[in-house]
Amino acid sequence: MDKNSAALYKKMQTEVESYQTLQKSCVKMVKQRALLESQLNENKCVLDELNLLGPDNKVFKLFGPVLVKQELEDSRQNVGKRIEYISKELKSSSDTLENMEKDMLKHREAVAKYQQQWQVAAAMK
Amino acid sequence: MAGTSNESAKAEMIDLTKLSPDQLMQIKQEFEQEMTNIQDSLSTLHGCKAKYAGSKEALEAFQPEWQNRQILVPLTSSMYVPGRVKDLNNFIIDIGTGYYIEKDLEGSKDYFKRRVEYVQEQIEKIEKIHLQKTRFLNSVIGVLEMKQAQAAKLLQAQQQQQTSQTA
Repeated sequence: MDKNSAALYKKMQTEVESYQTLQKSCVKMVKQRALLESQLNENKCVLDELNLLGPDNKVFKLFGPVLVKQELEDSRQNVGKRIEYISKELKSSSDTLENMEKDMLKHREAVAKYQQQWQVAAAMK
Repeated sequence: MAGTSNESAKAEMIDLTKLSPDQLMQIKQEFEQEMTNIQDSLSTLHGCKAKYAGSKEALEAFQPEWQNRQILVPLTSSMYVPGRVKDLNNFIIDIGTGYYIEKDLEGSKDYFKRRVEYVQEQIEKIEKIHLQKTRFLNSVIGVLEMKQAQAAKLLQAQQQQQTSQTA
C-alpha cells in the first residue's frame, strides 16, 4: 500500500512539474505575442500614413544614425510585406499558445485525477 | 479581445453565486492582475498623447516671419548651440518603425492632430473596458464577501450546537 501511494505521489509530482514548465513557457509566449501585436499595430499606422502621402512627399528610412531617402512605392511595399510577415508570426504564436493551453489542461486534469486516487487510497487505509 | 472578455464576463456573471470561495478568489486575483495591466497601458497611452500634443504645440508656435531667426538647438537636454531657421515649411516626422516623412507645416500639424485623436480613441476604448472590469470585480468581491459571511455564520451555528450538546 505504501509503495503504491509513493508511486502515485511521484506520478503526481512529475505532472505538476511539467505543468509548471508549460506555464512558464506560456507566459513567455504571451509576452512574445503582445510584442508582435504592438509591432503589427505600429506597422499598420505607418502604412496608413504612407498611403496618405502624395508623390511630392519625401520618405526616409532610418539606418543606424542616417536617414536614407526612399521611394514612396518601395516603402509601401516593404511595410506591407512586414505586416504580412508579422501577421503570420502572430498566427503561429497564437496556435502554439492554444496547444499549450490544451496541454496545460490535460496536465491539470491528470493532477486532479491522481489527487483523487491519493485521497481514496488514504481513506482506505 | 474586448468582445471575448465581455462574453466571458457575462457567462460568469450568471453562475457567480454557484462558484466556491476558492474559485472566486482566483477570479478576483486574475482580474486584479488584468486591472493593473490596463492601468499600465492607460498611463503609457496618456504619455504618448502628451508627446504628440507637445509636438503639435511646438508646430503651432511656429510663425511665418521666423525665417532666419536665431534659435538654440538642443544637443543634449542641457547643452545648446545657436542656429538659424532656414526652412520654415518642411518638417521631418518619425512615423514609426524607422520611417520618416517630410511634410509641410499644415500637413505636420494635421499629422499630430490625427495622432492625438487616435490615441484619445484608444484611451476611451480602454477606459470602457476598465469600467466593465471594475464592475465585474466589484460583483465578484460582493459575492465573495457574502459567501464568507455565510460560512462564518454556519461555523458559529455549528460551534453553538456543539457547546449546547456538550452542555
